[in-house]
Amino acid sequence: MDLFGNLGKIFNASLIYATFRASTPIIFAALCAAITQQANILNIGTEGIMLVGAFTAVAVSYTTGSWILGVLAAMMGGACIAMIMAVGHIKYNSEICAIGMGINLFAIAITKFLMNVIFHTNGTFSDPGIIAIPRVHIPFLDNIPVLDTLLNNWCFTEWFVIIFIIVLQYIFYKTVWGLRLRAVGQFPMAAQAAGINVNAMKYQAMLISGLIGGLAGAHLSLGYSTQFVENMTNSRGFMGVAAMYFGGANPVLTAVGCLLFGFADSVGARLQAYGFPAQFVLLMPYLVTVLVLAVSMAIKLNAAKKRESSLIVHGTR
Amino acid sequence: MKQSVKGLVKILFTLVLSLAIGAVFILAIGESPLVAYGALLKGAFGTKLGLGTTLAGFTPLMVTAIAFAVAAQAGAFNVGVEGEVILGGITAAYIGVNWGFLPAPLLYLACFLGAMLVAAAWALIPAVLKAYYQVSEVCVTILMNTVALYIASYLVSGPMSAGTANPQSDPVLVTLPAIMKPSSANAGIFIAIIAVIVVIFMLYKTRWGYKIRTVGTNPEHAQYVGINAKKTFIYAMLLSGMLGGLAGCIEVLGVHGYYLDGFAKDLGTNGMLAALIVKSNMITTPFMAFFLAVLKSGAMAMQQSTGVPKAIVDTISAVFIIVATMEFVIQIKGRHNKKQKAAVITGHPMPEQEKPETSKKEE
Repeated sequence: MDLFGNLGKIFNASLIYATFRASTPIIFAALCAAITQQANILNIGTEGIMLVGAFTAVAVSYTTGSWILGVLAAMMGGACIAMIMAVGHIKYNSEICAIGMGINLFAIAITKFLMNVIFHTNGTFSDPGIIAIPRVHIPFLDNIPVLDTLLNNWCFTEWFVIIFIIVLQYIFYKTVWGLRLRAVGQFPMAAQAAGINVNAMKYQAMLISGLIGGLAGAHLSLGYSTQFVENMTNSRGFMGVAAMYFGGANPVLTAVGCLLFGFADSVGARLQAYGFPAQFVLLMPYLVTVLVLAVSMAIKLNAAKKRESSLIVHGTR
Repeated sequence: MKQSVKGLVKILFTLVLSLAIGAVFILAIGESPLVAYGALLKGAFGTKLGLGTTLAGFTPLMVTAIAFAVAAQAGAFNVGVEGEVILGGITAAYIGVNWGFLPAPLLYLACFLGAMLVAAAWALIPAVLKAYYQVSEVCVTILMNTVALYIASYLVSGPMSAGTANPQSDPVLVTLPAIMKPSSANAGIFIAIIAVIVVIFMLYKTRWGYKIRTVGTNPEHAQYVGINAKKTFIYAMLLSGMLGGLAGCIEVLGVHGYYLDGFAKDLGTNGMLAALIVKSNMITTPFMAFFLAVLKSGAMAMQQSTGVPKAIVDTISAVFIIVATMEFVIQIKGRHNKKQKAAVITGHPMPEQEKPETSKKEE
């Protein structure tokens, strides 16, 4: 195993894009979870929303031949699924984890069922008729060696996610709507007293979350790959939720967390060529996610404790 | 008593509703729901093989459902049962293959204890992270399931491989006797039933179980009356892990006779489904597990004889869970009473105060 002789082949400029590419679906998922988290709803159903989005995107892109329609339909599909969750949680008082897991299982089952019924296949559906999200080709970069590998031929949604992170950051922390959203999340009673319609805010957060989740799915099935595979999200939704915890629902920090997981994924993929067992490579992103989540939460908790101990605390637990 | 009748009515209502939604899907693809459901029931109970398959599917499902429910009693949402089943299975296979120096009865014991120990250790990780660092156990356990799957997959295709084309281990030296040949139903079902009864007894009749239930209902109160909420939470997760390991061991020793890669697919998930539908009520969870086992084992027969894809069964059970988590029936009744009361006091109903009331009634 001449691993150390080949470090240059593993860690090179193209790794940066590979990392970003692997992270993008997780970033979308994490943003989907972040917006509801701001309203204090833990969106465990991210995975299911994404999966439904991925299927809808492929189905519509295949039947209409337009990726734009595919993406829009995926966002609508995601929103529908999210609204089922929202109605269950907000109106009918479902426990969010329970209904979220229900949504995830429903998404796996219904996409499998529809794939059997509509496309008459099992497992994987890929066809030249599926129109992918186009890649952005920047001609003048063609002749610049490093920048060409770094920035050229990105998928359209990969550029979009960067803009989107910034937009969400702005909305959360600089707009009235964002302030209201966070107020609802942090202290619903005070928000209500201030005249904010708490439930309406929660519904809005879930709706937007569904749209983002659908987009995440569309990117996964039309941008990251061009096919639909049973359960193709592969826990990416949960990685997104983990990244959301890592970043405390702050879009920029959350995206940084996703990059870590994407990095583990793409380094792992390269290590496989040097004799590492495939299973270790495959489990790496999951392991890294758990470790990062655990360490970051421990650090956060300690910081909170320190802050608390510097104040005078009444009563003892 | 009135509460349990209400709960039963609600479950039946949910069941009918989800079967109806399933029927709509079946109608939409141009098949008859009655014929499909008939074929499903016939497949699950019609033949000795069918009944045996149902029981064989029921055995691990009952244990994983109770494993989820036990953790839920302490307030944990343990999605990691599947990982525990996998690691329990691989441990049982390792001991069953390699510890031939032990006499048979001891080897059985070693397999079960080893499986439960390793699975409990695996469950300890999310438990400690949740109890001491407030890391979401849902996230951690789901991701750890995949890690467990790949670890076992590595072991069984590398160091422990039998050298066959399929990744699987050598056959274990001791197996649980089959009870309904030619199906894979085996004596493990008795072990599973005993384990479930013991766990229910522990939860409702011992001090230890009381602590778990107190922590699950109200951790602050538990802390106040001198129960160590964190430790109790961890104990509940350990018990949940042990049950997961037990299910894995029964599957390996009873159904397969060796470790087969991917044998635990959806065992944990379906167990969780069963427990979630009845809100982790320990008594009704095994019955719900049985119902799901019937659906699963009949699904294949339905697909073969009617052309309705068996994925419809998963869809129905997922709809079941979504509807079951909502508080429809009780909400409607509760609102009616509330409206009258609220109308007397303030002249208009108060939706905000309604929710906690109804959730208490549910329990």
